[in-house]
Amino acid sequence: MKFCVCIKQVPDVTAPIQVRDGALVMDAGRVVLNAYDASAVEAALVLTEQHGGEVEVVLVGPERATETIRKALAMGAHRGTHLVVDEGTPLDSHAVSALLARHFEGAGCDVILTGKQAQDTDAGLAGGMLAERLGLPYATNAVGLALEGDTVVVTRQGDTGQEVIALPTPCLVTCSNDMNDPRIPNLRGVMQAKSKPLASERVAEVPAPRVRVLGYEPLPQRAPGVRLDGEPAEQAAEVVRRLAEEARVI
Amino acid sequence: MDERFDCIIVGGGIAGLSAAMALARADARFLLIERGEWSGAKNVSGGVLWGTDLARLVPNYWEDPEPGWERYVGRRRLTFMDERSAFSLDFASAHFAETPYTGLTVLRSRFDRWLAGKVEEAVAQSAVADASFLAQNILVEEVLMEDGRAVGIRAGEERFFADCVILAEGVNNLLTRQAGLQTAYVPAEGLAVGVKEVIRFDRKVLEDRFQLSEKSGMSNEFVGFATGGVEGGGFLYTNRDSVSVGLVLGMADLRAKGGTPYDLLNQFKAHPVVADQLRGGEVVEYSAKVVSTGDMRVMPKEVYADGLLVAGEAANLVLNAGRAIQGMDYAMRSGLLAAETVIEAKRAGDFSAGFLRNYRTALENSYVMQDLRGFQGAVAVLHDPAMFTSVPRLVCDFGRAFFTVDNRPTRKAYQILRDVRKAHMSYWDLVKLGARAARSL
Amino acid sequence: MPTILSYVAVQNGKPTRSSLEALSRAREVARARGADLAAAVLAPDAAAHADELGRYGAATVYAVSDPIFRSHLNTPVLAGLEAVIARAQPEAVVFPSTEGVKDVLGALAVRTAAAVLPDVARFEVAGDGAVEALRPVMAAKFLARVRAEGKPVLVSVRAGSYEASEAPAEARVEAVPFAFDEGSLRQTLREVVSSAAGAVDLSDARVVVAAGRGVKDAEGKRLVEELAGVLGAAIGASRAVVESGMFPATAQIGQTGKVVSPDLYVGVGISGAIQHVAGMANSRVIVAVNQNPDAPIFDVATYGIVGDLYKVLPPLIEAIKQRKGTS
Ligand SMILES: Cc1cc2nc3c(=O)[nH]c(=O)nc-3n(C[C@H](O)[C@H](O)[C@H](O)COP(=O)(O)OP(=O)(O)OC[C@H]3O[C@@H](n4cnc5c(N)ncnc54)[C@H](O)[C@@H]3O)c2cc1C
Ligand SMILES: Cc1cc2nc3c(=O)[nH]c(=O)nc-3n(C[C@H](O)[C@H](O)[C@H](O)COP(=O)(O)OP(=O)(O)OC[C@H]3O[C@@H](n4cnc5c(N)ncnc54)[C@H](O)[C@@H]3O)c2cc1C
Ligand SMILES: Nc1ncnc2c1ncn2[C@@H]1O[C@H](COP(=O)(O)O)[C@@H](O)[C@H]1O
Repeated sequence: MKFCVCIKQVPDVTAPIQVRDGALVMDAGRVVLNAYDASAVEAALVLTEQHGGEVEVVLVGPERATETIRKALAMGAHRGTHLVVDEGTPLDSHAVSALLARHFEGAGCDVILTGKQAQDTDAGLAGGMLAERLGLPYATNAVGLALEGDTVVVTRQGDTGQEVIALPTPCLVTCSNDMNDPRIPNLRGVMQAKSKPLASERVAEVPAPRVRVLGYEPLPQRAPGVRLDGEPAEQAAEVVRRLAEEARVI
Repeated sequence: MDERFDCIIVGGGIAGLSAAMALARADARFLLIERGEWSGAKNVSGGVLWGTDLARLVPNYWEDPEPGWERYVGRRRLTFMDERSAFSLDFASAHFAETPYTGLTVLRSRFDRWLAGKVEEAVAQSAVADASFLAQNILVEEVLMEDGRAVGIRAGEERFFADCVILAEGVNNLLTRQAGLQTAYVPAEGLAVGVKEVIRFDRKVLEDRFQLSEKSGMSNEFVGFATGGVEGGGFLYTNRDSVSVGLVLGMADLRAKGGTPYDLLNQFKAHPVVADQLRGGEVVEYSAKVVSTGDMRVMPKEVYADGLLVAGEAANLVLNAGRAIQGMDYAMRSGLLAAETVIEAKRAGDFSAGFLRNYRTALENSYVMQDLRGFQGAVAVLHDPAMFTSVPRLVCDFGRAFFTVDNRPTRKAYQILRDVRKAHMSYWDLVKLGARAARSL
Repeated sequence: MPTILSYVAVQNGKPTRSSLEALSRAREVARARGADLAAAVLAPDAAAHADELGRYGAATVYAVSDPIFRSHLNTPVLAGLEAVIARAQPEAVVFPSTEGVKDVLGALAVRTAAAVLPDVARFEVAGDGAVEALRPVMAAKFLARVRAEGKPVLVSVRAGSYEASEAPAEARVEAVPFAFDEGSLRQTLREVVSSAAGAVDLSDARVVVAAGRGVKDAEGKRLVEELAGVLGAAIGASRAVVESGMFPATAQIGQTGKVVSPDLYVGVGISGAIQHVAGMANSRVIVAVNQNPDAPIFDVATYGIVGDLYKVLPPLIEAIKQRKGTS
C-alpha cells in the first residue's frame, strides 16, 4: 500500500512571539514539523511496518522547509516531495489543497493522510478540501487507524463519542495527535534520511488564497486574579464565598 | 553505508561546529551529535564572540545576506558602579568597523543554527557529502572505550564507532568526567552562574539610544554594585533589535551571601543607570546557566587521551578577566585545533594519546592557553572582594566629587582621590591591589 | 433580499447551545444588513425543531429530514448542506464550530466554491458582503484579523463567542427534498462509541470541572466527580489524563480537544500548558487548584488555590454543599 502524508512546517508556538504593528515577530529559525502531521507520519509508518508498503511525505513550502521533510524521512518515511514556493508566499488551506491535489492526480496513493489542523493557524480545512478536490471518501480527526485488507478503518473523535468508520481505498484521513506519540528520529534514521529520494519541484504559479490576513493582535488580557492562601479549609471557604458573592456563579 | 567514522563530535555548540567545519573542509567523515532540538537551542550565552577566527570558518561571513550574528562591536564600555552612580570608560573606534571584525554580538540560538547551516553546506561540497552527518535532538550517553581507547559513542540503544571522539559538550562535561579526564567534583569556586535576559526594542530606538549604526553594536561590562556585592560582573550587549543583559555570579560567593541570581539581575536592571538604558524594552527571554570562572585549577587533568579530544568549555577554556568574558572564541579556536590534530592523526594513521598530544601543544602555543595562563592573576584580582565593593565605590565617589559642580571651593583631583580612598580602603590595600591589577591585566 | 443562513447542529434530539449562539449572532448580522435569517437543520425529523429556531429569529427553516442523520457521517451531511445552500443562495453561512462541522467545512467550501473562515471568535459581514473575522492563532496566543470574499462565505464560530438570545419570529418551514442513495455513501459507519450515555456536550456546559495529571488515582477521580456533582458541572480533562485513559477523549479541552467557555471553569491538577489554555481561556470565571505556585494556569486564573487537590477538594465540596443548601 502507498501512503502519502501531507506535512507542514510551522513556527514553534512555544517560542517567544510578539506582535509589532500588526505583524507577528518571531525567530524565523524556530520551526517544527506540525505535531498533527507528525502523528500522521507515525500512523503511516506503523501501518507499513505491519502490512508493508511505502510512505511518501509531501510538503508545500519555501526552500528552508526541506529540513522538515528530512525530519519525516529520519522518522522512517521512504521518500519526500517538496513543492517549492518563494519565502513568504501567502498560502491558505484553499491554495495548499489545490497544489496538493495537482500533485496527487495520478500519483497512485492508496491512503492520503493529513493532520487534522496546522498547529499555527488551526484552520483544519486542507484535508477535507483535498479529499473533495480528488473526489475521495474521507474521515477527519482520526484517533485510531487500522487496515483490513484494502479497507481503512478509522476511529474518529466526534462531539459526543467516537465513530468507527470503514473507508475503501483510495481515501483520505486527517489525523489527531491523540492517535499516537510520534517517534523521535534516532541516529540511524538521521543518517539514512540523507540518502533517501527527495524530489523538489518549483511551483509554477500559486493559486491566490481565498482568505486574506489583515493583521494580528494580542489576545485581550484577562483581569489579574487573586491567590487564596491559608489552610485548605480556609481556602475552600474563601473561594466559595467569592464565587457566590463576587463572581455570582454559584 | 560504511559505519565507521573518522571522528565523532559530541556537542553542536561553537567548539563542535568549528571542529566539524574543519573536518568537512578536509573531507573527513564525521558524525556530529547535538542533544538540543537544534544547535543553540539550549544555549544562554550573553554574547560577544571575540577575535577573528569566524572569518577562517566562514570566509567573508560579513557579506552573508542572512547573517547569523547580530552586530559588530564598534563601541566598548567598562562601567564601575555603586548603588546610585556609574563611572564608565568608553572607547569607540573606526578600527572596529574594519573586516574581519574583532567582536560580534551573537544570540546563540540564531548563531549556532546559522553556523550549523554553514557546516551542512561545507559537507555538501565535500568529497564525503553522504558520509558525514549532523544529528540533532539526540543525547550521547556514553563514550565507548576499548582497552583504554575511546572507540565510539552510545546514544540510547545505538552505538557508533570512529577512530576518535571530540568532546565538545560544554561546561556540563559529564562525558569528559566519565572518561576520567576530570575529577567528578568541581569546587563551586571554579564555577559561576550566568543569568541573562533578552530585551527587545524597536530597532530605531535601540540604534539611537546606544548611538549605533546599521551594523555596529556596543558591549558594556559592569563591575561593582552590578552584582550587589556578590563576586562577579554584569554585561549589556546590543543585538539587532534587542539587548542581552545579564550577570555572571561566583557560585561560592552567591551561596555564601544568599540571594537568587534572578533577584540580583532585577536589582541590576533597576539601577538608575541601567534602567535608563532599558526603558521601554520588553523582556522576551530569561535564562540561566553555569559557566566556568576561568580558574585554571579546575581545568581537566588533560584535554586528550587515546582516541579522545576535549574542546571548548568542556575543557574549561573560559577566561573572565574583567575586560570581557571569553569562551566562545576559545571554543572556536580549540575546536579548530582539535580537528586539525584529528586530520593529521588520520594522515599518520595514529590516534594514540601520544599523537593526540599535538592538540595540547597547539593549544599551548595558541593565544588561548597563553591568555589563560597569563591572566590567572587577573582572575584572582577579580575575585578579590575589593574589586566589587570598595574599588567601584571609590571610583564612583571620585567621579561624583570630580564632576559635581556646586557653590563650594573646588578641590583638586588628588585631594578628592585622597579623601575617597581614606573613606573606602587603606592606602596599602589600594596600592597592593593596584599593583596586582597592573601586573595581571 | 439577501439571506444569512445558519446551520443548526442537533445533538441528543435538540439544537446545541453553540448552534443557538451562532444563530443568534447570524440574526444580528442579518438585521444589520437587512437580510433574511434562515436556519438549516439536518435531522431524522428536522421540521420538529422549527418552533424553537423561530424563537431565535429564524424566518425560514430549511429542513432536511432523513434517518441517516441519526448519527454523523460526512457524506450525507455534505449532500444535505449542498442542497440547502443551492436553494437558499445565502451570502454567508454561519456554523457552530463542532466536530461535526469541522468534518465537512473544508469539503463543503470546495463543493460550493465558497470561501471559508473556520473557528472564529468574532465576525462581521462588511458592506460589500465580505466577511471579516477575528480568529485565535498560534495556540490561541494571538488573534488574526482575516477577510474573505465570495458568495457564499462560510464561517464557523467558536463555542461561547456569542450569547444565545431569543427574538421570536414566525418560522416558515421549507422541507428540502433529500433522497440520499446509499450507493453514493462510500463509507460505512460500523459503530458509535458514545462516552457516558446522554453526556452533556462539554462545549454546551455552563460549569466545567477539568482534571489534569495532578489527579493521580481513582480517589482523585472520585473527588473530581463529586465536585462536578455538587456544582452540576460537566467534566473536562487535560490531554495528559485522556492519554492515560482515566478520562474519555470527549472530555479533552484545548487545541486538539474542545473549546469551552462556561461561566465557571475549575481546573484541578492542570498545569495550564498553552494548548490547554487555548480551549478554556474564554471562560468567565476560572478557578485553579494546583500545588505548584508557578504553574502557568495561575496566569489566567480568577481565583488561584495553591495546594494539594487531595487536601483542598474535600473541604471545597463541603463548602459548596453548604452554600447551595443555604441559598
Ligand atoms: C550568561 C553567559 C554569558 C556568556 N557570555 C559570553 C560572552 O560574552 N563571550 C564569550 O565568548 N563567552 C561567553 N560565555 C561563555 C560561552 O557561552 C561558552 O564558553 C561557550 O558557549 C562554550 O562553547 P562550547 O561549544 O564549548 O560549549 P556550548 O556552547 O555549551 O556547546 C555545548 C553543546 O553540546 C551539547 N551537548 C552537551 N552534552 C551533550 C551530550 N551528552 N550529547 C549531545 N550533545 C551534548 C549542548 O546541547 C550544547 O549545544 C557566556 C556564558 C554564559 C553562561
Ligand atoms: C499540538 C498539541 C496539541 C495539544 N492539545 C492539547 C489539548 O487539546 N488539551 C490539553 O490539555 N493538552 C494538549 N496538549 C498537551 C499540553 O501541551 C500538555 O502536555 C498537557 O495539557 C498537560 O496536561 P496536564 O496539565 O494535566 O499535565 P501536567 O503538565 O503534567 O500538569 C500536572 C499539574 O498538576 C499539578 N499537580 C500534581 N499533583 C498535584 C496535587 N496533588 N495537587 C494539585 N496539583 C497537583 C502539577 O503541579 C502540574 O502543574 C497539546 C500538545 C500539543 C503539542
Ligand atoms: N504547506 C503545506 N504543505 C503540506 N501539507 C500541508 C500544508 N499546509 C497544510 N497541510 C496539510 O493540511 C493539514 C491541515 O492544514 P490546515 O488546513 O492549514 O489546518 C495539515 O495538518 C497538513 O497535513
